[in-house]
Amino acid sequence: MDFFKPANLEELLLKMQESSENRYLLAGGTDINVQIKNGLIKNAEVIYINHLAALNGIKETETEISIGATTTYFDILHSNLIKKHLPYFQASLDFFASPILQTSATIGGNIANGSPTADVMPLLLVLDADLKLISKSNSRKIPVSDFYFGYKKHVMKPEEIIFKIVIRKNAEEGYQHFYEKVGARKTLTIAKVALAGLKKEKSGKIKEIKLAVGSLNEFARRLPKIEAYLLGKTVTEIDYNKIDELLNLEITPITDLRSDKEYRYHVCANLIRTFLNQ
Amino acid sequence: MKINFLLNKKPVTIDVDPMKRLLDVLREDFQLLGTKESCGEGECGACTVLLDGKPVTSCLVNVIQAEGKEVLTSEGIAEEPLGKLLIDCFDETNAVQCGFCFPGFLVSSYYYLISNGELNLEKIKKALSGNICRCTGYQKIFESVLLACERK
Repeated sequence: MDFFKPANLEELLLKMQESSENRYLLAGGTDINVQIKNGLIKNAEVIYINHLAALNGIKETETEISIGATTTYFDILHSNLIKKHLPYFQASLDFFASPILQTSATIGGNIANGSPTADVMPLLLVLDADLKLISKSNSRKIPVSDFYFGYKKHVMKPEEIIFKIVIRKNAEEGYQHFYEKVGARKTLTIAKVALAGLKKEKSGKIKEIKLAVGSLNEFARRLPKIEAYLLGKTVTEIDYNKIDELLNLEITPITDLRSDKEYRYHVCANLIRTFLNQ
Repeated sequence: MKINFLLNKKPVTIDVDPMKRLLDVLREDFQLLGTKESCGEGECGACTVLLDGKPVTSCLVNVIQAEGKEVLTSEGIAEEPLGKLLIDCFDETNAVQCGFCFPGFLVSSYYYLISNGELNLEKIKKALSGNICRCTGYQKIFESVLLACERK
C-alpha cells in the first residue's frame, strides 16, 4: 500500500489532482479494512484524512446544519445541535452498526463506500439532504438523491471529495416520521430492508409524503411513483394492491445470503402500510 | 513511519507501517495478548480497546489513527479500580466460560461504567451489543455488569 498523510485540506486537494487508478481515502476505516482483509483492495494508494479538522464536526448556519464528512456516528448521536433540530434523524441512527463501530464509522465514509445497504441513505433521502463536494478548483452542492447512478457508482470526479452533508434545520419539522431497519438482530446487522418516511396530513388527507428505501436496489432511493399516488388521499382511500403494483416498478430486490427477494418485497410493502396507518 | 501514542498510560513510539492494524501492533509489537482477534471484521468485539476513551474494534483501526492519542487495552483496564471491580464481578457470577470474548466485554463494560454506570439492564445490553459471546453466556455477563454498577 502506498500511504499519504496530507498536512491539511489544501494538500489533500492538491494530491487528489494527481491521477490514480486505485485510490482510497481512509477515515474511520470500518469499510476499507474489511475490504483489505478480504483482498478486495490491493496495492492501493491510501490517503489518510481522519486527522483533518476541516472535514470534521457539526456546524449550524441560520437555516442549515452541516456535518463534516469524517464526523463519526458517535459524534452525531451525542450532538446537542442535531438533537435540537433533527431529533428523528438522530434517534434513527441509534442502532446503526454497533456502539463500538459508531465511534469509528463516519457519515462521509458510509456514503462514499456506496453500499446499497448503507444505513444513513434512506434518512438523508427523505430529509432532502445535500452533499457538498469539493476539489482544488471547484465546489458544488448536489442533492443526495443525485449522488449514485449504479451499484457503488457515484458522480464524484476523481479529484473530488465529500466535504460535508447539509440538512435544512426544518427538514423534519411538523412531519410524522418513520424509520425501520429490518435485520437478523438489532445491532451488528446489515439491513435486509430499510424504510424511512416523512409525511404531513391536512384535514385527513396526505399533504406531503417522502419515502426512501435501502437494501432493495443497486443504491438507496426514493419511491416517487408511490409518493405521487398517495398525495391527496385519505387513509381509507389508499388501495394497497395499487401500492404493491407500483412497488414492483420501484424496487428490484435480490436474493443473497441475508434474505431473499420475495421476503424483501413483502417486508417493504408491510413497512409502507405500517407507516401509512400510524 | 514513526507513530507516537499513549499505551496504557505510558508514552510509546513505534516505527511501523501506518496501515498496520492496531490489533496487530498491540499483539505483535507490544506483546499485549489480551486483545483477541476473532472475526477481523468488526462484528464480534473480541478486539475492543479504548481509543481516546471510546471503545473501538482494533481490527478495523489502522495504527495511524492512534497517532497522538491514548490507547487503553484490557491489560490497562485490569489495573484500574473499576476494572478490578468488573473482573471480580465476572468472577463471582461465573460469567467467563472459554474466556476468548472476555477482554472485549471487559473493555465495553468498563466504558459503560465510566460513561454511564446506571443500574439499567436495557442500557447495559445496548452498551454490550457490539460484543459477541459464542458460549452464549450473556445472562451472566449482564448480571456481572449489573453487580458492578451496584458496587461502584
